[in-house]
Amino acid sequence: MTQLTMGKALGAGLQRAMADDDRVLVMGEDIGKLGGVFRITDGLLDEFGGARVIDTPLAESGIVGTAVGLAFRGFRPVVEIQFDGFVYPAFDQIVCQVAKLHYRTAGKVRMPITIRIPWAGGVGAAEHHSESPEAYFVHTAGLRVVAVSNPQDAYTMLRQAIASDDPVVFFEPKRLYHTKGEVDLDAHISDAPPMGLARVVREGSDVTLLTYGAQVTTALDAATAAEDEGISIEVVDLRSLSPVDYRTVTASVRKTGRVVVTHEAAREAGVGAELIASVTEKCFHYLESAPVRVTGHDIPYPPAKLEKHHLPDLDRILDAVDRVLDRPNSLSEVAP
Amino acid sequence: MIAQFRLPDLGEGLPEAEIVHWHVAPGDTVALNQTIAEVETAKAIVELPSPFAGVVSELTHAAGDVVAVGELLISFEVDGEDPATPEPGRARDADEDEVQTPNLVGYGAAPRSAGRPQRRSRGGRRAPAGDTAVLDAAPHDAIAPGIADDVRYERPRSTPPVRKLAKDLGVDLALVEASGVEGVITRADVEGYAARVGSPRAAADPGPGIAPAAPATAPRAEGGNPRETRIPIRGVRKATAAAMVRSAFTAPHVTTFLTVDVTETMELIESFRSDRRLEGHRIGVLAVVAKAVCLALSRHPELNSRWEEASGEIVQFGYVNLGIAAATDRGLVVPNIKGADALDLVGLADALTELARVAREGRSGLDQLTGGTFSITNFGVFGVDAGTPILNPGEAGILGIGAVRRQPWEHEGAVALRDVMTLSLSFDHRLADGEQGSRFLRDVADVLRQPGRAMLLR
Amino acid sequence: MTYTPTTDSDRFTELGEPAQLLTPAGERRHDPRLDEWVADVDLATLRGLYRDMALARRVDAEGVALQRQGQLGLWAPAQGQEAVQIATARACRTDDFLFPSYRELGVLLVRGAAPADLVLSWRGEVLSTYDPAELHVASPQIIIGAQSLHAVGYAMGIQRDGGDQVAVAYFGDGATSQGDVNEAMVFASSFSSPVVFVCSNNQWAISEPVTVQAKYPIAGRAPGFGIPSLRVDGNDVLACTAAMRWALDHARSGEGPVFLEAVTYRMGPHTTSDDPTRYRAADELERWRARDPLTRLEALLRAEDAFDDAFLAEVEQDALAFTSRMRAAAIHAVAGEPLSVLDGVYAEPHTGLDEQRGRFAAYLDGFGDDEEDGR
Repeated sequence: MTQLTMGKALGAGLQRAMADDDRVLVMGEDIGKLGGVFRITDGLLDEFGGARVIDTPLAESGIVGTAVGLAFRGFRPVVEIQFDGFVYPAFDQIVCQVAKLHYRTAGKVRMPITIRIPWAGGVGAAEHHSESPEAYFVHTAGLRVVAVSNPQDAYTMLRQAIASDDPVVFFEPKRLYHTKGEVDLDAHISDAPPMGLARVVREGSDVTLLTYGAQVTTALDAATAAEDEGISIEVVDLRSLSPVDYRTVTASVRKTGRVVVTHEAAREAGVGAELIASVTEKCFHYLESAPVRVTGHDIPYPPAKLEKHHLPDLDRILDAVDRVLDRPNSLSEVAP
Repeated sequence: MIAQFRLPDLGEGLPEAEIVHWHVAPGDTVALNQTIAEVETAKAIVELPSPFAGVVSELTHAAGDVVAVGELLISFEVDGEDPATPEPGRARDADEDEVQTPNLVGYGAAPRSAGRPQRRSRGGRRAPAGDTAVLDAAPHDAIAPGIADDVRYERPRSTPPVRKLAKDLGVDLALVEASGVEGVITRADVEGYAARVGSPRAAADPGPGIAPAAPATAPRAEGGNPRETRIPIRGVRKATAAAMVRSAFTAPHVTTFLTVDVTETMELIESFRSDRRLEGHRIGVLAVVAKAVCLALSRHPELNSRWEEASGEIVQFGYVNLGIAAATDRGLVVPNIKGADALDLVGLADALTELARVAREGRSGLDQLTGGTFSITNFGVFGVDAGTPILNPGEAGILGIGAVRRQPWEHEGAVALRDVMTLSLSFDHRLADGEQGSRFLRDVADVLRQPGRAMLLR
Repeated sequence: MTYTPTTDSDRFTELGEPAQLLTPAGERRHDPRLDEWVADVDLATLRGLYRDMALARRVDAEGVALQRQGQLGLWAPAQGQEAVQIATARACRTDDFLFPSYRELGVLLVRGAAPADLVLSWRGEVLSTYDPAELHVASPQIIIGAQSLHAVGYAMGIQRDGGDQVAVAYFGDGATSQGDVNEAMVFASSFSSPVVFVCSNNQWAISEPVTVQAKYPIAGRAPGFGIPSLRVDGNDVLACTAAMRWALDHARSGEGPVFLEAVTYRMGPHTTSDDPTRYRAADELERWRARDPLTRLEALLRAEDAFDDAFLAEVEQDALAFTSRMRAAAIHAVAGEPLSVLDGVYAEPHTGLDEQRGRFAAYLDGFGDDEEDGR
């Protein structure tokens, strides 16, 4: 086991994937010589050369579109979109081509493309550098979507994503790039928990708190604070957003009967809405109270100094926990 | 054979076309794709190529006619068995009426079908149950080893409105047996439970049990020891047990016994039976006992009271809500007669009859099952003489009546065969002492021994 | 306006009349840029090209007829564009990889598409038919210009494999306005990838004339990206052959991408749902009819005594054989089962979708045996 930051763990995962399969390519803006603006791909150019580590022109649609062509040719491209807010020019290629080519050709053409996206906020960044666009991709059939919350998952799930024959949109919370954690670099990806599995990262009995990405850390903090009030929160890290591991989720809900979902992304039609709809369908008879979402507001991402009012923090989470426990809370007097 | 060509959608998005000009006439030999007509839509003139090679047999419309898409246009005499009749305007839709008007990118929206909207028949099959099953993770997403999903605690299953009801009634869903699909506790289940075993909110919990009710669930033979039968502790039994425990270990129980000669009561009852004015009213021993109890309680209010720990007070009731323990299929219930003290013997008897009937049908209402102040339990019907009944929680006393036996007794100085019954009174020693309990019992017994002594009480 | 080419191949960046080797009347012309590339083209080859173009035209007519007969929901006519499609596809090697748009039926035919391949997608039975890996042709692309990037990516893959194949991107004049086409040229140029861009400028993007897309001739853009380009008469099968051979050779030998603008004309509507009489004049159509690719080749062949009625009959016969099978494939197409719509979304099992399949199957099951399978 090694202590690695998430950024280093991702880099190690890429290195390992490229070493294991010479059809794996890495491509994106500034990822070669510079090693990426977050240094995730640092060292890869030196080790694998410019044919496999490609500094692309500044054109996201072009990056993803040429990745499609490379996949036609039998390569496994790993695309880096420099920032979440810049994925939109590539949206057409992702949604109309990457996601649909397998279906269009009845499986004759595969798109084993991994699209890595430094993602989400809490880093005091300029506009367009703190986006949470995961819902668009979760809603697109043909894509797998995952979000990592810790260095170990970053390492193994990235390798699993690259190994998957399906396209994977891989969200990396940039806020956690420098957070360290234990990483087993020798883990076989087939032995590790599968990419599609959710994980109970903290057991509890009173409330199920569903979340993903950097918000897992906030959720765990909230659970710790809740202990002081005698509330036992079970935190579930979804890890995979498409598909969602409802087996793990519903087992938790059947145990606690109370659900809070939290994510940075905006509330309306966010992943939380889907989760709660599904949880309600599957676990209606176990629910003690109506599930609650704690999310970003339905606003464009606010300026850096104000982002703390937008990001759902520990207090907002616990306020929602109060609600599902029928304790007095901020919404007690307010209609939902 | 005859092959027909109906006007197809022409890519113009319009539902009809006017025949401008026929290029062929009946009897003409026509090649495949040969232009047979020009039609005009609101937008343009379009040439129609023949879908068949053959001889024109009939033109269904004339030049100048406006034809709707899907209408028969022209018929051909063609060779061969299977002309592969192309049916224009649809991709083998079962519905004849469905003709799709195309737009720039394809067939276009299907038109609304004529007639009243209707469901497809389900062929007599039941609609599949709502799928709430959680799929096993696929091999790629295989569940990591080590997760056992059978050793988990699961909450009782119900719906939010029913949960609210249970909460309002103070009913613990864990104790309620579910009758709904897939083990869901229904509203009826909660109401029925509260009816049978009482609602803690009204402090009238399940009554004492003497005769065990039939198990609420069928015993399950486990794989283990074939000579052991395991019955899950659930539902009514569980609730009753809990209440008994609560009662037994809260109130200090004392039981006193008195055996009394009830021959005169039996004679009285006999005389009622042949009294035509009392036809239709079943007056039995229980009714007389109930009357005696009500009368006696007016003299001994301490036995018609409640120990209220929370408020630090003893509540003495100015009325008697007389509970009668009744054994039903589901278990023991103790519905009570409100204001039993205000009823005369006939009224009491009728109330008892009604109460028993309703209880046997399992339809005792919530109101009946709550608010009792004193209870009677008739274990005599099971053929035993005495017992130590457990108080209905919240009540001060419970009188058990045994079987009426014909046995030798002292009567007017000699030994005679008399109807004898034993009374077993349990009372809460916090609320009444031995003397008070005994006196009460004596008063009841006196009425039974000499019904006329009821006139001494009020 | 003068234009100064920025590449070495400035002999290919003239923007006057498109390069031509065969006049509309069928006379042979010379063009020093192109002659060498068709020096070996003999009468047999020319007859073969005629055969191909005749088949393409016949297939196109059949497609229109089938749509008019209600057998296909839509058809995108390629009439008038046979020369550029046939010539460029014939010039390719079988292991070159082609990325067509939805109009390149001539390309599909040359690469060996089966009759059913021409109709089943337009009929709406399937989204695509053949295996791209077998024909070395991607499925026809409907998103305008998207395929240009795929071709460049493929070419980048060729480079990494050390191969000498070439990727070819086909698109129209309208597509050149799309970002993807321009990004494709940036990538292709920066990486010197072996890709040939074939722009069929058929003068119209639905109802918009090419002047809306390009104030300056389209071929003039590529050199701005660093890509040599040639403007060629798209109705001249000889010139297109020559141009494509040059372009492929350039790319194949590691010289980098090439851009060809084939100036042609969309004789038919954008699709069978379009009415071109609303936006273009009949005389324009007639002007272009006089420049038809088949008639000029026929004239040349007749002048060389290489085209007689017997040959024509044979060509028509072969074409009819193909189109009959097309027709049969359309009419006898079997619709997929309801549950099949859920197939093939992912390469690997997806629990969410699998759950939906289970539900849908249970739902369909509930309709009982007296119902036909739900359509």
